[in-house]
Formats: sequence, structure tokens, C-alpha cells
Amino acid sequence: MSLARTTVRKYAKRARKRRRRQFWQFMICGAAFVSLVAAKVYGPEHAATLRRVLSGAMDRNMDLQEVFSTVGRTFAGENDPARGLREVWQAVLLPPDGAETLSETVPEVPETLTPHEWSDSFGNSTAFASLSEPWPETSGAAVIPDPPSDGSAFDNTHPAGQASVLYTGQNLPENVGLEQVLLNFDYQCPVQGTLTSGFGYRKHPIDGAERFHYGVDIAAETGTAIVSFADGVVTATGESTSFGKYCTVEHSGGFTTLYAHCSRITAASGAAVRMGDKLAEVGATGQATGPHLHFALQREGIYLNPVYYLAG
Amino acid sequence: MARVRVNASAGFYVLLVWFAAVNGPRPLLTVLAAALVHECGHLAALRSCDARVTAVRFGVCGAVLESDCVHLSYGQELFCVLAGPGANLFAAALVTAAGNPWPAFTGANLILCAFNLLPVRPLDGGRGLELLLSWAAGPAAGEYAARWVSAAGALVLASGLVYVMRQSGGSLWLLPAAAGLLAVSFRECVGRA
Repeated sequence: MSLARTTVRKYAKRARKRRRRQFWQFMICGAAFVSLVAAKVYGPEHAATLRRVLSGAMDRNMDLQEVFSTVGRTFAGENDPARGLREVWQAVLLPPDGAETLSETVPEVPETLTPHEWSDSFGNSTAFASLSEPWPETSGAAVIPDPPSDGSAFDNTHPAGQASVLYTGQNLPENVGLEQVLLNFDYQCPVQGTLTSGFGYRKHPIDGAERFHYGVDIAAETGTAIVSFADGVVTATGESTSFGKYCTVEHSGGFTTLYAHCSRITAASGAAVRMGDKLAEVGATGQATGPHLHFALQREGIYLNPVYYLAG
Repeated sequence: MARVRVNASAGFYVLLVWFAAVNGPRPLLTVLAAALVHECGHLAALRSCDARVTAVRFGVCGAVLESDCVHLSYGQELFCVLAGPGANLFAAALVTAAGNPWPAFTGANLILCAFNLLPVRPLDGGRGLELLLSWAAGPAAGEYAARWVSAAGALVLASGLVYVMRQSGGSLWLLPAAAGLLAVSFRECVGRA
């Protein structure tokens, strides 16, 4: 009998404790709710600032998929461990997403310039430094081409018949070259398809913001073979939230090409490839609105317009 | 067959939705798959030792298996505790041997394995350390050593997370993890492990 009474008392005590905890949880949540409403009513500017700061901080999230993939590839021996560590560090501390929302005054990191993908190709710290620094004032976007303002303007008309756009030294990102560099090796178009987006400023198809597009987009059916632009070595294969599945190939003369948004990567990192060798298949991974290849060409850190070489 | 109680806290659902909203569905699925491998490792080990799982609790710190392991020896309990990280390591090795078609899954398994081996209770590493020390030097010494290693480890980890948040200018979803680790450190210091 006394044992039963003790048990009942124990249960009652536990229930009282639970009720007290629930009461305090309710009070804390209620107080937080009332404070937020009061802040919104009596200090809308402060509330808006707070919301912007918080959203920026929350958007500044690490690229988890990239972290997982890099660790997995390093474990499998596809990556050099030092490089893997550097890529993980980059994915954690310099995530490609949310950079814009962090601060309105910091110009964007362009979609095509995720640091970890390109830093290794050029193997120097300048690439890291330039990515962590603000971009030059390029938000003025394209200059409408009538009439040409000075002799320094370049015509960027591309063969797909899109509107021609003039760029001047003031509005062109400093890591972009518009001249047609002569390549001292054979090359070919990496995929058969339709050119849907050229090199230069454009309205981003997903977020609608005016951004510099550092490559060209070639639409093709999912699964279409993507071949190497020229002879070279596959320097990186991976996956990121913006590029999806991608690979990069280093060619002679300091040139590097990027193949992004693939559905499948068939080449292995470190493999030597010949012009026309299959590297990947067309897909719509990462930030893409449909199956296409995002193809970019760099020489020693300077992005070049690949459209000059697609007919090759 | 006895019933297994399954209990998920509200915080777990909030964390799940938040994780999916911030990181997208693919990292979420990758993490869940690796977590499933981890728990299957524990389950298989417990079954091999004839221990019964009485409850599975899902909270903000992950999943916790409760079992009636009172009859297990230190060695058997250590085996059950380390079976989770072991399963993750095995899965990563298996996928790698198959040509590494899912590097993200491999990486998630390795990260989960390494994370769970941290010497912080109630993670597997902390539990394993306590069992190992208790086995070698007695339960009191094991408990004492595990408590202080756990408190220090949690404090170092929380500082690391705060550093990452500061360097990356955000990553606010690490905040609950840092707060949880600080709470663990505090709890271990005041002796309520």
C-alpha cells in the first residue's frame, strides 16, 4: 500500500515538473512572439535591418554537398589530400551561395567563378585573394551600343544573333579579356547543341539579377556526350550547388576549360585526355533551368569568350 | 517480440525542415542515408550481442538508440558503440571499392564517422572512451576522465564552430550545434552527465 502511494506521488511530481516546463516554454515562446511583433510595429526600420542581417547570415551557408563530395573523392584517392583540405576549407568559409545577400555593397561572386574549382587550375594564391576581395564596380552592366562612346569599346556580338553589347574598361570585370586569343593547338566544340546564352552581362535566368556570364551555355539533350575541347589533363571533377557536376581540363599554354551542369562525369581527375575524348554528359545539375553545358575558357586567370572557338 | 518505442522531438522536425530549406534536399538525403547506415551498424551489433533495442529517440542532436545492455560486458558494449562509426567507414570503403559513384555519400559517411568518434558524450567517441577507461581503470576513474575530456572537447568544438561562423560571416545553422555543445560542456562540468 505504501509502495503504491510512493509510486503515485512520484508520478504526480513528474507530471507537475512537466507542466511547469511546458508553462515556461510557452511563456518564452509567447514573449519572443510579442517582442517581434512590437519591434515590427514600433521600429519597422530596425526590424527590417535585423531581418536583412539575419537572412544574410543564414544564406551564408557552407556548400555541404561540395564538402561531402570533396571528402569522398579525397578518400578514394581522386584528389590530392592537401588540395582536398583546401577545397573543404573553401566550401566551408567561402560558399558560393548567399554572397550577394550578405551585404548589398559587396559585388557578387559570379556564378562561374566558384573559387575552389578554379584555384587549382591556376595554382596560385592570387586566385584565392581576388575572390575574397570585392569586385570592381561592374554592376552598371552592359552599355547599350548606340553610339560607340570611345575607341576602347569592344563588339561582343556572338553568332547566335543575340543583341550586340559594348563593354568599356569601366564596366568590364577585371578578370575578363574580350580579345580573340590565337590558340596554338587544335580544338573543337565540346558538344553539339544550340547556343542559348553568350559571354557577357545577362539577366540571370534563375534570380533575374544582372550578372556577368563567364562562359557560354549550349543547350542539348540530357545524356549528350561532352568531349574535351583540346588535348589536356583533367584537373578537377566534382559537384557543387551552383555548377552541379563539373570538370575542368588544363590545356597547353596556360588555358583551362570548364564543363558544368553535367548529368554524369565520365573522365577521372588526373587523366590525360585528347581532343574529342568524352568527359561527361549533358545535364541540368546545379543551378540550371534545363539541360545544357556551361562552357568557360580561361587563360592564366583571365576569362576569354569561348564563342570564337566553338566553330573549330 | 517486444515493442520498440520511437519518439521524435519537435526540435528534430524543425531541424530537419530547416536543414532541407537551407541546404536543399540532396544534402539532406545524403546525410539521412549515412545516418541510416550508422544506426544499422549499432542495431546489427546489439542484435549480435543479444541486446534488445527498447527505444529510438530522434532529437536535435541526432538519433539515440536505447537498449537493455546491462548484461553486456565492457568489450561487448564497446563493440556496439563503435559499430556505428565502423558501419560508416565500411560503407565508405565499399562505395570507393565500387569505383566511387557517389562521392558525396562516401564523404558524408566519413564525416559522420569522424564526428561520432569525437570524445564528447553522448557521441560514440565519448561513450567509447568512458567504457575503455572504465574497463581499464574502473568505473569511477572512467567516469571522471570521460567527464573532463568531454567537457573540454565540447568547449573546443563549440569554439571551432563559432570561429567558422565568424569567418564565413554567417552559417547560422551552426548556432544550435554550438549552443548544444556549450550545454554539454556545462552539464559535464557541473556533473550531470
